Amino acid sequence: MATTATITITSADIAGDPVNVSKTLTCTKAGSTADLDQTTGLNRVHLRSATQKTLLTGNAEGNNLAAKVYIINKATDPSLFVTVAISAQSIGKLYGGDFMFIPWSQTDTSASLKVAASSWTSSTGDIPVEYALFHEDTDFLTNA
Amino acid sequence: MATVNASISLASDITDSSIGIANTSALYTAGTTTGLTTMTSVTKVLSSTNQEDLITTGSVSTTHAYVYINNPSTDHTEFFIVTIGNAGSGSPTDTEEIGRLYGGDFMFFPWDVDDDICVAPSVATDMTIEFQVFS
Repeated sequence: MATTATITITSADIAGDPVNVSKTLTCTKAGSTADLDQTTGLNRVHLRSATQKTLLTGNAEGNNLAAKVYIINKATDPSLFVTVAISAQSIGKLYGGDFMFIPWSQTDTSASLKVAASSWTSSTGDIPVEYALFHEDTDFLTNA
Repeated sequence: MATVNASISLASDITDSSIGIANTSALYTAGTTTGLTTMTSVTKVLSSTNQEDLITTGSVSTTHAYVYINNPSTDHTEFFIVTIGNAGSGSPTDTEEIGRLYGGDFMFFPWDVDDDICVAPSVATDMTIEFQVFS
C-alpha cells in the first residue's frame, strides 16, 4: 500500500552546467517506514471568487502525524494565480500550470490549508485547482 | 532567460483504483511566460535543534520564487520542522509550521518571498539539509 512521489527539476541554461534534480520518496507515517494508508484521492474544484476558501481543514489529531499535500493550478493562463496559505500565513502563489508538494503539519485546528483565486474576476473565468492529500490516522470525516 | 521545468509524478495504490498523477510545469516569473534567471543551491549541516533561518527574503530579488528542500537522511525518525512567517530581528521567530520533512522527504512549492523560511532539526547530531531556490 505504497504512495510514491517523484520530482524532477531540469534546466540546460540557468547555470553554466545543466541542472538535473531528481528525487523519489515513499510517503510514510511519521518517523517510521510504514506506508501512509489514507487519502482523499484526487479532487478538482473550480474557484470563482477572490475570497479565501479552505481547501483542507486542519485537524488537531493530525499534529505529529504525517501528511503530504499536492496542489496544482490547472488554469492555462499563466497570469491566473491562486494564493496558498496555512492559517493566516501566505506561502506562495500558484500561477497557471504550477504545482506544489509539501508535508503538512496540522499543528492545530487553525492550520487549515487555504486558497484564494486572487486574480479572479468575472471575466477571467473559473480557476480550476486539483489537489490530493495522503495521510495517516487522522479522521477527516469529523470535519465534514 | 532560462528554461526550467519541474515535473512531478504521484503513484498510489492506497485506494482500490490506483491513483496516478503526472504533471510538468515550466517555471516562469510571476504571471508571465518569461523564464527564470537565478538559481541558488545550498547544502547545510545543522548541529543543533535551534531554529535556523534557512532562506531569507533578502536572498531573492523577486516576489515569486520556487523552493525545493530535501532531507537526504536515510533515518526516517529524524526530521526538520519547516516554518514560514515573520522572521523578526535577530533570532528567527517563525511560527507557522508548514510541515515536517522526515529523512528521505522533499518538498517543492512557490514562495511569495514575504517571509523567511526556517527549519529546526529534530536532533543535534549533524543533520544535512539541501535546498534550491529558482527565481
